[in-house]
Amino acid sequence: MSETSTSARPEWGTLIGIGLTFFAIGVTVNVLVYEHVGSAVKTIAAAGIVLSATSELAYVAVRDVGGSVLAALIAGWVVASRFGLLAASLGTRIQVGHLQRSCAALNCLDPNVGVAMQQPTPKGVITAFWWVTGALHLGWWCGTFTGVFLGNIIGDANRLGLDAVFPALLLAIIANLLRQKPGLIAALVGGGLCAALLPIAPAGTPIILSLTGAVVALKVPEPKAANS
Amino acid sequence: MTWTIIILLAVGVASLRLLGMYGGTALVRRVPMFERLGSLIPAAVVSAVIAQLTFASGKSLTIDARSAGVAVAAVLIWRRAPIIVVILAAAATTALLRL
Repeated sequence: MSETSTSARPEWGTLIGIGLTFFAIGVTVNVLVYEHVGSAVKTIAAAGIVLSATSELAYVAVRDVGGSVLAALIAGWVVASRFGLLAASLGTRIQVGHLQRSCAALNCLDPNVGVAMQQPTPKGVITAFWWVTGALHLGWWCGTFTGVFLGNIIGDANRLGLDAVFPALLLAIIANLLRQKPGLIAALVGGGLCAALLPIAPAGTPIILSLTGAVVALKVPEPKAANS
Repeated sequence: MTWTIIILLAVGVASLRLLGMYGGTALVRRVPMFERLGSLIPAAVVSAVIAQLTFASGKSLTIDARSAGVAVAAVLIWRRAPIIVVILAAAATTALLRL
């Protein structure tokens, strides 16, 4: 992620891209959740207090195929466990009080931690984190209200190729990490292991086990001009 | 989805995030090797999410129009294209291949 020369704020193009992606996710996910829940208030509340589209989708998916409430809840928690890993990572790089630290933890998602961790200073990390958090919240909430009150105005998201947008966005966000050998090794091992385990492991666990990629990458010497 | 379920889901997810921020960070700071591990976690975990979003179709793996869209995005990212161009190209490639 490139940034302006004067601050840790990501470029506007990056923020707009993240906002638009989360708008599309907000619409498509919340149309599905609304169909399942049948209440606008509950859908909006879940969007706000769970703040994990994958957890909501995991819960709905398990219930839709006849799974028990407990199994659906566990699936929702397991797929969110990656946010704990990302929060641990972010926590090592920020120097803020408990209130801001807790707020940051509760807002940990893939794009904001991915962008923030590429900043060279603790102040830059937290600044970039909140800029991206703001952009994704704006997109997510506009998408949520659109999905709940206007329905699926996007239409068939897959026909429009929107299912490729989020992985493409995440790839763009971690691109700089991949340009250094340790980050590349972590990504290849983590991503490869996850793909290999997807057909056989319970939902959510391949992503937790992708942590192995970071452990393997520890063997790779640190680049001389590393940021972090 | 009842209010109880929404709250249980939210409390579980929030607890995981807070546990990571406080417990995980404390662990990372106590063991020097873990500090470097912390900086490598985003690459490993986000790549796993990308792999899942690109190749998973239910419980099986597939290479399809979506994978091609992400591949085009990868090339554009490598060429340092702006992020807006990357995501629009990924969507356009995927959509065109599905026509």
